[in-house]
Amino acid sequence: MARDDDDEALRARLDNLSGALKAQRQKPGATPPQGGGEESRDGFGSAMSLGLRAASEFAAAIVVGGLLGWQLDRWLGTKPAFLIAFFLIGVVAGVWNVIRVTSPLSRARTPVKDVPNNELPKAPAGDDEDGD
Amino acid sequence: MAAPAINPIEQFAITPIVSATIAGKDFSFTNSALYMLIAVGLACALMMIGARGGDGIPGRLQSLAEMAYEFVAGMVRSAAGEHGMRFFPMVFCLFLFILLSNLVGLIPHAFTVTSHIIVTVSLALLVFFTVVIVGIKENGLHFFKLFVPSGVPIYILPLVVLIEIISFLSRPLSHSVRLFANMLAGHITLNVFGGFVVMLLGAAGAIKVLAVLPLAMTIGLDALELLVAFLQAYVFTMLTCMYLNDALHPGH
Repeated sequence: MARDDDDEALRARLDNLSGALKAQRQKPGATPPQGGGEESRDGFGSAMSLGLRAASEFAAAIVVGGLLGWQLDRWLGTKPAFLIAFFLIGVVAGVWNVIRVTSPLSRARTPVKDVPNNELPKAPAGDDEDGD
Repeated sequence: MAAPAINPIEQFAITPIVSATIAGKDFSFTNSALYMLIAVGLACALMMIGARGGDGIPGRLQSLAEMAYEFVAGMVRSAAGEHGMRFFPMVFCLFLFILLSNLVGLIPHAFTVTSHIIVTVSLALLVFFTVVIVGIKENGLHFFKLFVPSGVPIYILPLVVLIEIISFLSRPLSHSVRLFANMLAGHITLNVFGGFVVMLLGAAGAIKVLAVLPLAMTIGLDALELLVAFLQAYVFTMLTCMYLNDALHPGH
């Protein structure tokens, strides 16, 4: 409830401040300055970041799984059982992470620019939830 | 002759500038703290001078500040929606701090704050706990729907939930290690190739000419590092936004 109030106030303020700016930006042809720099960097840069992300997410899940299992073993005194189980689950989680990182390519790659942002929140949120 | 002096790890050493010990704990003002202050100072200077407005004609600093604002605001809106703009101050601070630390670290002889995992882990944990606390505060128990994807048959649900939890817990790790490893590896590589130049110049006679090769490589790597510095700040911020989105809109 407090959140709605806050958001209402925030939105009103933002609209106030940026109403004219937004109108200006919505005009076709008025946008190039912010789009241009992005696109040129997009190819190599985002490919590299995507690759690094996939690799690190994969590794991180395995490490976390292994650590969880190791710690559980120490608590419960069941030496290798949980380590093995959680390591394997970690591998699965890692693969799942990689699938999640790589499949919604279009969403991750385009920082949405010129879409009017009234209904925008819903769409990416829905997308994301499918992915998750 | 100079060969033994080159140690690519040396650049990451933390040395106290002003030593101080409070209650048995080391509270020294180190080079790391100094460069954090520099990054924060640069960010403050950029925004304060950039936002001054003045005579109506936007100067270079002002358009730089506006570009930074537009860039991060666009990222927050696209990843976390208009609700997410409440977190804009935090996200913007993270972005500027990481970006400026990375960029300042590229200056020769400067110290790279983000090449220390303790720094990146702190930042990642800040994001992680923000997500958890805000998620639970906003959505109550609905937050835990994040771990329960819809449409999964009941008999494999426990396994899927376990996988989701591990996947969730792995976020701060991958979040921090990515930034840290990129900066660390980049600076070590730069240093090693820079070291080759020195070693070849120290060699006898015509071999000196070969020093051009690693020098060219160093220049290329420097450009790459500039890209990486920006890219890692971008990726860190982007993921922060996506995680915050999970806090605001957990599974439907």
